[in-house]
Amino acid sequence: MDGRMGQGAQHTLKEWILAAEVALLENVDDTAAERFSWLAEGLRRRSPEKLWDLLRDASKEELDKVPELDNLLERLAQTLVGVGRLGETADLVKAARQWEVRLAGSVYRQLAQAQMRSGETARAEETIRELLKQDADDVEAQRLLYRVLRETGRMAEAHDVLNRLVELDPSAATATFAHRERGKLGEMRGRPVRIALLSSYVLDPLIPFLDVECRRAGLAPAFYVAPFNQYTQEVLDPGSGLYGFGPEIVFVALDLEDLAPAVRRAPSVDELARSGDEIRSSLTALVRELHARCNALIVVHELALTGRSSHGILDNRRGDGLSRWTEDLNRDLAEELGSQAHTFLLPLRQVLSRVGTERGQSRKLRYMARMRHGDAALRELARYSMRYVKPLKGLTRKCVVVDLDGTLWGGVVGEVGAEGIQLGPTAPGIEFVDFQEALLNLTRRGILLAVCSKNNPADVMPVLRDHKHMVLREEHFSALRINWRNKAENLAEIAEELNIGLDALVFFDDNPVERELIRQMLPEVLTVEVPRDASQFRSTLEDLTDFELLALTREDELRVGQYEANRRRQALERSSGRLDEYLHSLELRADIARAQASHVARLVQMFNKTNQFNATTRRYGAPEMARLVASPDHRVYVLEVADRFGEHGIVGAAIVREQRETWGIDSFLLSCRVMGLSVETVLLKRIYDAARVRAVARLVGEFVPTAKNGPTVDFYRRHGFRLDGDAGGTQAWILDPRADRIEDPAWIAVKVTGE
Amino acid sequence: MRTVEEVVAGVFGVERGSVDESSCPESVEGWDSMGHLNLLAALEQNFNVSIDIGDVVEMVNVQKIRDILLAYGVRG
Repeated sequence: MDGRMGQGAQHTLKEWILAAEVALLENVDDTAAERFSWLAEGLRRRSPEKLWDLLRDASKEELDKVPELDNLLERLAQTLVGVGRLGETADLVKAARQWEVRLAGSVYRQLAQAQMRSGETARAEETIRELLKQDADDVEAQRLLYRVLRETGRMAEAHDVLNRLVELDPSAATATFAHRERGKLGEMRGRPVRIALLSSYVLDPLIPFLDVECRRAGLAPAFYVAPFNQYTQEVLDPGSGLYGFGPEIVFVALDLEDLAPAVRRAPSVDELARSGDEIRSSLTALVRELHARCNALIVVHELALTGRSSHGILDNRRGDGLSRWTEDLNRDLAEELGSQAHTFLLPLRQVLSRVGTERGQSRKLRYMARMRHGDAALRELARYSMRYVKPLKGLTRKCVVVDLDGTLWGGVVGEVGAEGIQLGPTAPGIEFVDFQEALLNLTRRGILLAVCSKNNPADVMPVLRDHKHMVLREEHFSALRINWRNKAENLAEIAEELNIGLDALVFFDDNPVERELIRQMLPEVLTVEVPRDASQFRSTLEDLTDFELLALTREDELRVGQYEANRRRQALERSSGRLDEYLHSLELRADIARAQASHVARLVQMFNKTNQFNATTRRYGAPEMARLVASPDHRVYVLEVADRFGEHGIVGAAIVREQRETWGIDSFLLSCRVMGLSVETVLLKRIYDAARVRAVARLVGEFVPTAKNGPTVDFYRRHGFRLDGDAGGTQAWILDPRADRIEDPAWIAVKVTGE
Repeated sequence: MRTVEEVVAGVFGVERGSVDESSCPESVEGWDSMGHLNLLAALEQNFNVSIDIGDVVEMVNVQKIRDILLAYGVRG
């Protein structure tokens, strides 16, 4: 540019600069300001670096007088980037921050892109991070940051930025982008999960959304989609890609119109009956076949009608009405699938209704791509699918910790008193009653509740005990932290008191400051993004996909009462001086039995969530467990414990592999609720007894150390086993049942069934 | 309302500067048949139109998309 300017132009440039300097100094009234603007504009075009020199050296007072300084700086920055003066632009951006002039995000982004093009990756990152400080929600900036991280090989961080990106922009395009990029990043973090889709239509676009949801749950998913409309072959052929993939969960999504094309053309009563029977028998056969050939959890989508019935308003009055026919079909499917332990019917119509059937079932996508669901419906479907994936992977949360003021009721009880809070049958107040009822419903599934509130107990307890509109009472809460301490400390204590991990907690607090604190201090806790509007509290809670159980066991229903009993037990522990006396006073009873098919659901639950007292941490799913229970070469034991305060239910289990001379203890685990009572000795003694009477020479306790099973490290040594080597991280602890002895503790009454 | 180039860059996650009039499925990573549907959804949302299937198959590059949008009365 300079080269094209002649001698005259150089001269003029000097004049420009002088005039601009003079104008800046003299800038006392509007005319001078206008004149400066005009001069600066000219200077920017002719020699942007000179204008920058000028501005950089100006004092704060001088700059304050410059009209629309932000605009001028933004234009100047763009010009500087355009002529490749990246260093100056970076200085300008930095100076603007010091001068407290906010520049548009595009200035930062253009600079960062230019820096990346010229290989200044570290500088580009600095620029992007500065922009994100100013606006953390800038999607484009997140994309640029992702690119920098990928190019500099920081894959873990790159994965995190992709999470953030899909959070900010939930479109199909971004989900697809993230999914594709993850393929390139390779390195996967989190527990693996293998998900297969079988469908009569194109369901591939669900994958990016499922990927997003799995990442959010800390899972590293692998996917398999059966070739288009080949679901039957895939199920029937033992050598199919589906079985080769080895799925843990299979979603079967069949479209009603694909199964019964007749429904599009006003079918007769006979036609409907015939199609209905065909669908029932073919789908049932398909699921049974699939079930027999693989271990996966099977989730079949409900059958949904697209569009309206040709009978109009008469549809539900006629024998050949479609709505009643569809209802009957789905009810029969629910019954068939419900009769087996790991086949489920996904309520597709309920899922689609969340986005509206119009957006849910897109005709254009059907015509163009043999797809069915649009973006919004796919997002909803992916979210709902996690209700099956999470419990399968042991990710069910166990406790909701709630705040009080503004969360369980409106207003601050310490200011307005128990009678002044908003809680009752009319608004405002009814929305909090409704929310409390939803929390109460969770306790019916065995989910615990706890309170963490900054308050004086003297203000709060009268509300919990006596307020006539409180749904939740003191006894519904398994732990209470009503004090003025840091909530992160309180939450850690609650987890400890309830003997659950921080990753089992959900935190529900209307105060965004508290939520941010917990997000930063305790990222394992699920901190719910609570809306400002309390009338959305109930649906926000119900939309969480973290409370699902694949089967409701008796232990789940007993649990809430058990924690209440635990509180009383601990009070007793404090009051009795000697441990021995305390243990005797508990009046412990232990029942040990060989596991039956009916125990499988509880066993799977325990095997998948027990971490601390678990000798090998081997996870077994329902089909494998059912096989082990039925196997003639294995002995699966269950331990049930009760004491004077109530029943604990099944809290211990072990799997023994029988070989003629040697029995191997494949798994041995104990719920943390009963640790420290020596009930594990009672269970081990039964295994030992059985081995002894059969003259087994070697009882081998296997132990695999993990980050969490510290409490089990000493288990076999304590019971007289000797370490006999370590093969690939698995220690073998040996006992000779013919010579060694194991004794029951004196404070436990033991009962053995089915030995 | 964003321009066609901006929509394309956003959908495929590429630099805005790398998209021009001639950009097409062969030149943009991710612009496959599934990507085309995502682009369609983004265009329909951005320009608030519902694009006919016959037109969708004609959308072979940025310039062509702009021409087609004109038929719906919007300037991309």
